[in-house]
Amino acid sequence: MRDLLRSGAEGGGFVPPSSGDFELPPIFGDNIYTTKPIALVFLSVILISAFFIISSRKAAVLPSKLQFAGESVYTFVRNDLAKDVIGHDFLRFVPYLFTLFTFILVNNLFGIIPLLQFPTMSRVSFPYILALTVYLVFHYVGIRKQGAIKYFKEIMFMPGVPKAAYILITPLEILTFFLVRPLTLSLRLFANMFAGHLLLLVFILGGEHLLQGVIGLKLISPFAFGIGIVLTFFEFMVQCLQAYIFTLLAALYIAGALADEH
Amino acid sequence: MSSREENAMWSIFGYLLSGLLFWGGIGYGLDKWLGTAYLTLIGLLVGISGAIYLVWLRFGRQ
Repeated sequence: MRDLLRSGAEGGGFVPPSSGDFELPPIFGDNIYTTKPIALVFLSVILISAFFIISSRKAAVLPSKLQFAGESVYTFVRNDLAKDVIGHDFLRFVPYLFTLFTFILVNNLFGIIPLLQFPTMSRVSFPYILALTVYLVFHYVGIRKQGAIKYFKEIMFMPGVPKAAYILITPLEILTFFLVRPLTLSLRLFANMFAGHLLLLVFILGGEHLLQGVIGLKLISPFAFGIGIVLTFFEFMVQCLQAYIFTLLAALYIAGALADEH
Repeated sequence: MSSREENAMWSIFGYLLSGLLFWGGIGYGLDKWLGTAYLTLIGLLVGISGAIYLVWLRFGRQ
């Protein structure tokens, strides 16, 4: 697609990267279910499973390096995310949060791993589905814990507020809990990955384009590549942070649904 | 940033957004229906005040 555009604009200048660069063609023929993002999702599942099976198979009291790496990720999610946020009933949510964190992290990191170089979460459907699972989990947990009527009453009518104020704030509570929360959760992840990948495309493809220009432009090209490399490190930070925030907010929503008073 | 602050930050953002969307949306709808032009603005103001009031209820009074 990009090559076609490029040759179409022969000598016509730089084709800036756009959202079209995220719509990748199918790998096998016309089957729209075999695109690169889907292949990456499967790859991530294989990689994560393999890593944690191998790292925990020969678990020893004195851990090997691999076991240590696997265990520190697990301990981080268990203690810093689940235990600190959810509190005493945290253990049954650890598998879910752990899966969420590693799945998002690995899929985000695909954005800067050479040859793969595509963050899966920059296709918005993936964050939507992940946010939907969070949405179902925290409402289900809240309804189970407090009963449907009490749970929804708690959301809609905050105690200790003058009755007239409910007209003003009840719609906002409903909108926040049932629409804004899952939407911001997924869009934050999507937008960060989308913008980050676009930024890398601009500087690296731009650097490549400058390299084909006259001598003056060739001299500028290394700076574009340099910024591209700096941004790659920056992206690494953003990718880890977004995986963390998504999981943290999922844990916070679960904690809020479990608590008797929000 | 602690997880408590993180929670407060995103909750506040969510409330402000829903405030503007809901009451601003009602104002916009009324403007379309009645052919007026100022109700969207009033709706947005009502929405943002409601949201700020809600934020105060949730995080301000302790």
